Amino acid sequence: MSSEVELSSIEVKAAPTAPARWWAAVDRAMVWGGDRLNPILVKETRQALKSRQFVITFALLLLCGWVWSILGVAMIGPDIWYGAQGADMFFGYYAILAFPLTVIVPFGAFRSLAGEQEDRTYELMSITGLGPRQIIRGKLGSAVLQMLIYLSAISPCLAFTYMLRGIDAPTILFILLYLSLGSLALSVIGLLAGTLTSEKHWQVVLSVVLIAGLFYAFGMSFLLAGVTLAELHGVFLQPEFWQANAAFLTGYAGYFALLFYAAAAQLSFTSDNRSTRLRITMVVQHVLLTGWMAWLWIWPAQGEEELPFVFLMFLGIHWWVMGALMTGESPELSPRVKRQLPQSFLGRVFLTWLNPGPGTGYMLAVSGMLAGLVTVGMALMLVKWIALWSPQNWRFNTAGTTLPFGILGFSYATFYLGLGLLVIRLLRRFTHVGILLAALVQVLVLLLGCGVPMIIYMLSTYWYDADYSLLQITNPFWSLMHVVDRSALPPEGYVLLAIVPLAALLVFVLNLGGIVREVRNVRIAKPRRVAEEDAELAAVKVPPEPVKKSPWD
Amino acid sequence: MIDTRPMIELRHLHRYFGNTRAVDDVSFAVHRGQVFGYIGPNGAGKTTSMRILASLDLPTAGDATIDGFSVVNDPDRVRHRLGFMPDYYGTYSNVNVYEYLDFFARAYQLRGSRRVDAVDRVMDFTGLDVLADKPTDGLSKGMKQRLCLGRALIHDPAVLVLDEPAAGLDPRARIEVRQMIRSLADNGKTILISSHILTELAEICDVVGIIERGKLLAMGSVEAIQQQAQEKAASGAGISNAVEVRVLGGAKALGQWLAEQPEVSQLQVNGEAVRFLHAGNLEAEADLLRAMIEAGFRVVAFGSKRQTLEDVFMQVTQGLVQ
Ligand SMILES: Nc1ncnc2c1ncn2[C@@H]1O[C@H](COP(=O)(O)OP(=O)(O)O)[C@@H](O)[C@H]1O
Ligand SMILES: [Mg+2]
Repeated sequence: MSSEVELSSIEVKAAPTAPARWWAAVDRAMVWGGDRLNPILVKETRQALKSRQFVITFALLLLCGWVWSILGVAMIGPDIWYGAQGADMFFGYYAILAFPLTVIVPFGAFRSLAGEQEDRTYELMSITGLGPRQIIRGKLGSAVLQMLIYLSAISPCLAFTYMLRGIDAPTILFILLYLSLGSLALSVIGLLAGTLTSEKHWQVVLSVVLIAGLFYAFGMSFLLAGVTLAELHGVFLQPEFWQANAAFLTGYAGYFALLFYAAAAQLSFTSDNRSTRLRITMVVQHVLLTGWMAWLWIWPAQGEEELPFVFLMFLGIHWWVMGALMTGESPELSPRVKRQLPQSFLGRVFLTWLNPGPGTGYMLAVSGMLAGLVTVGMALMLVKWIALWSPQNWRFNTAGTTLPFGILGFSYATFYLGLGLLVIRLLRRFTHVGILLAALVQVLVLLLGCGVPMIIYMLSTYWYDADYSLLQITNPFWSLMHVVDRSALPPEGYVLLAIVPLAALLVFVLNLGGIVREVRNVRIAKPRRVAEEDAELAAVKVPPEPVKKSPWD
Repeated sequence: MIDTRPMIELRHLHRYFGNTRAVDDVSFAVHRGQVFGYIGPNGAGKTTSMRILASLDLPTAGDATIDGFSVVNDPDRVRHRLGFMPDYYGTYSNVNVYEYLDFFARAYQLRGSRRVDAVDRVMDFTGLDVLADKPTDGLSKGMKQRLCLGRALIHDPAVLVLDEPAAGLDPRARIEVRQMIRSLADNGKTILISSHILTELAEICDVVGIIERGKLLAMGSVEAIQQQAQEKAASGAGISNAVEVRVLGGAKALGQWLAEQPEVSQLQVNGEAVRFLHAGNLEAEADLLRAMIEAGFRVVAFGSKRQTLEDVFMQVTQGLVQ
């Protein structure tokens, strides 16, 4: 006995062999990397490895894959040697994979945040050194990890479909890429939903809505995959295909960032600046959209008439939605936010609109739409000018309705957002109005504007048969459609163009007081204790001036 | 210079929930190395004010600072200076003791050997090292309490806010928790600890504050508060003495007779013994005894009990709210 013990202890003490040293290096690298991994990712991976639910889902997925393989092969029968059944088999595997990716993973992301709020571990986690973005990144990371595991479970089956012929590798990869992107987007939506409320009954409502939405997304992904499989032949060589994809992915990245930052903002503490980062993202999205549209318009479409319409519509909806949300922000700035307000003259002119607050938000939305309108106006002028030189390539019968459409749309959005903001300000005298309630007010104001004339129209015999009339002037959708629908401006168009911008101006002026009050906020000094600590930290970070040892140093 | 700055300070802190004034203008300061006992009955507002300190809730008005940093405006700077142990456990399923502490160490951005050391130190201090592989949600109450204390200590904060750390523990575990807290205080930590039992904290606290219905009623060392209450009792300034009278037969009748006396409250008749609180100084008590005998009651014993801590607590909390 004792000799054995001695022997083993001698072995331990012996100099490490080369592989052992190599292993030790790997080990150190793992420790080093593990240290820098997101703590939530580490914890949730450990949890997942022990959790029954995860093991069951994984086993079910494998089982379904096997069952479908056997069933499929049995149904195809001897054709398997000659036919091209790959696509059909792939579709089956796709369904098996799409369910966990579009329903289970995103819902799991939602539940993991909501569950932490129920167990109150969320509170404990939030007061550690973990920042809100780190928390969202960790949760998203564990969703991605699950996705990867599900993908790897089904990947042998996918390789099998490739060997069956009838489907090529780029198509498989393309569909998987978009499925993963979809799953990621749904996961971040799930996380955002998880941050919206910590109240039990609202969480129940939210989870029902979310599940319904996820099942809808599952159905849609099914449909899209079917269409892709049927239509996607030989497109991989066309440059337009890649351009369209790049444009789509840019948009995807923009909205993904927006959702990500929104979820993080929801988790950050109340006195923190929850808005500026989101507003910067919105502006970046605006610039990217403008860039893509300009590119598409100049090169592949060469002055296509529809593009400015599409651009204005996109931009209008984007800024209206963002504006509706921003008007829900609190008009009071916390001292913490005031410490970082822009200070220089130029900063105050241009960056004030990125400060939190409903008035600055309204201004930002209005400026965004105005910028879009000016861009289109300049582009149209440019086209006229180019057309003088090469008339055969450039169609430019755009003079008719694009600009009136843009001006009207801009005026309507300015009018309704401003009106909503006035209502919100009024409501704030009596009760607390948060972002969701404010957005609801904005939607209601718009619905009233559309609905009231619609009801009059439907009830009255006088108007009943008539087409568009100025009764509908408060209905932006019908009015805009009426203006766009024809090659030249209809007679009502001139009346609309006279009245709506004026009304928008009026509402804007009525809001000016509130905006000015917000703009008057100026930077305040840091509290003395904060300045003290910053100085201490800076002293540690910046090494003291090197001492001159010789005159040549 | 640094030592004159309180580590914990509440400045006119208010927190209302609708019409409930959970915390109503509370101010106090705790200096480095002190243990402050925060005593009050259930619903007094202890948890609410501690949650504000831990930057989990916002005050309706007023502010609180940890080491000079506002919990409202600089919670990020407060958080790594403060260890908070709430009145719930917050354990994860499928996570063992080691992984749990490791997670929080990572969350506090501790890396490499610093993290390993921190987890070891805490497991050692709380005696959890033998349970390292046990799942956290299967631990006993006492062990969960230790785990929570360990989590609050993992980043070696200068300030600890502990919400009823001894609640629901058996006597031995209570004593152990108390010893741990004392040793933390001896190591220079500033500690705010709450309880609804004054005696529990009397020996480990440098200062106690008594809170009820959101208001801080008394503050000072345990002796000072005791003294204060007794002086008030002696001067008859609306503070009651606990009196026990034994009478041969007719205890019920004595009870009825006493009920009509103006200074008597909280009357209890128990066999031959009648207990009540008497608001008044010792002279008034002597007068009461004479009146009792003149009324024909056969009194065999009349005792005005010496003030215990519990009595002080009862008096402070009842005397001033009403
Ligand atoms: N989230 C809340 N909503 C409404 N009332 C609350 C909330 N939290 C605490 N209260 C009320 O505030 C008062 C103080 O509660 P608490 O601080 O928990 O007391 P303690 O910890 O001293 O027992 C109680 O009346 C309680 O009902
Ligand atoms: Mg409590």
